[in-house]
Amino acid sequence: MTLAGELESHLPAGTSLVFGQLYLTRHDDGTYEACHLDDMGDKSMLESVDSVTDLRELAKFDAAGEYRPLKTAPTLKGGWVTRCGEASEFLKRLDAIYPAVFATWIAYAREEHHPTSLRRTLDRQTGMYRFAGTISDQMANRMMRELCHPGCIRKIAWPINDGHPVSRLKAQPRSIPVICTEACTFAINAARALAKEAFDKANASSDGPTG
Amino acid sequence: MPVSKPDCALLILGHGSTENPDSSQPSWDHAQTIEETGQFGSVHCAFWKEEPSFRQIWPMIEEREIYIVPNFISEGYFTRQVLPRELEIEGHTTVREGRTIHYCDPVGIHSAMTGLLIKRAKEIIDDSVKLEDTTLIIVGHGTNLNKKSTEAITDQVEAIRASGEPFARVLDAYMEEPPFIADWQTLTDSPNVVVVPFFIADALHSYQDIPVLLGIETEPTAAASQREVFRQNPYRFGDRTLYYSSAIGTDPSLADVIVDQVSYFDEHYRS
Repeated sequence: MTLAGELESHLPAGTSLVFGQLYLTRHDDGTYEACHLDDMGDKSMLESVDSVTDLRELAKFDAAGEYRPLKTAPTLKGGWVTRCGEASEFLKRLDAIYPAVFATWIAYAREEHHPTSLRRTLDRQTGMYRFAGTISDQMANRMMRELCHPGCIRKIAWPINDGHPVSRLKAQPRSIPVICTEACTFAINAARALAKEAFDKANASSDGPTG
Repeated sequence: MPVSKPDCALLILGHGSTENPDSSQPSWDHAQTIEETGQFGSVHCAFWKEEPSFRQIWPMIEEREIYIVPNFISEGYFTRQVLPRELEIEGHTTVREGRTIHYCDPVGIHSAMTGLLIKRAKEIIDDSVKLEDTTLIIVGHGTNLNKKSTEAITDQVEAIRASGEPFARVLDAYMEEPPFIADWQTLTDSPNVVVVPFFIADALHSYQDIPVLLGIETEPTAAASQREVFRQNPYRFGDRTLYYSSAIGTDPSLADVIVDQVSYFDEHYRS
């Protein structure tokens, strides 16, 4: 089944779904609609945003006008609604807000797309990021606790180490999961910072005054 | 030259930025232009520092044959190491998990770039300005870490010199290695100087850093998209006149160059 077909079957006419910070509705006439979860009540005052380009621009900045390089940061602004008649067009609009997120879930659910362990991601890095792989498991947990969990709505599907897979994620009723199958550029950057911090600390203690 | 590949996907790769909202815009703009022509079954973008990332993109693409065009200026660290590694491809064509993936040359090394640089330089100078009184500087990033980084620029400079365009001189200059763009006033002796950034986007370097090095801003400004007024050419420095162009990668013709790299792949690399 195509991705548009999957979306159509996930959202039959007359139903609604939660997708990250989005509230998706398929009306009885088959029309697709998406808005911010906070706006799911009265939609009469919402601004209609009906192009992929405009939605991508909308998702680029938060309500305070700050740039959102991470599209699954919990800072999607509200006040808008988008509507269209075709699943393929609706999928493009969802991808403008959450790029590749629906496709990733479908591929994961079909077991065609497998999570990559944090170690494999970090060990692959070169250049300025090559030392990121020196972080300990404890530091990796700290990264998830301090960076990933407050800063991103994705549920982590990857393990820190190969051979210790995390439980497979499942969809909650009436929702499409927003999942993370591999540590992103922000996590790699944070791992590098933690590795550098540990290196500097170790060097400072060995170079420190001895008496 | 247009292509007809309704069963193939086109994937445009860009650097992107976690700091500057304009970095990925040219790739999206060119993707939209190409998508509207209907030459490919679908057109996608993926980025190193934005989403969708190189690692996230595969589930989105439903076609079994995919052309990848790096929207990068030079062949080097990114196009030869980072992109193939992150996309898990090797060589010109990779067959993997039922997909045939063609890896094309980056846009920056296409022969059409020379003409675009000349066109861009002529566009921004005043009609009354003679090319014979004007030095053209192509500015790039430059890094001592990778010689390939400057080759793309020096190749273009040589091609422009060979084109017969009557510029007083054509020079290369860089942000981080000599000849430094910050020295443009001593590098040149003509009354007029036109500077064209050989960058993909009007982002951190071309819009925020280089204007400071040129002396037309005193400190890095907000991103291009967040400024109400674009810079106004020309800038006067005593008896010298400076023209500063937006990045070459923002030229709408880059959409044609991307498609041309697909044609070039078929003609030269396809077995």
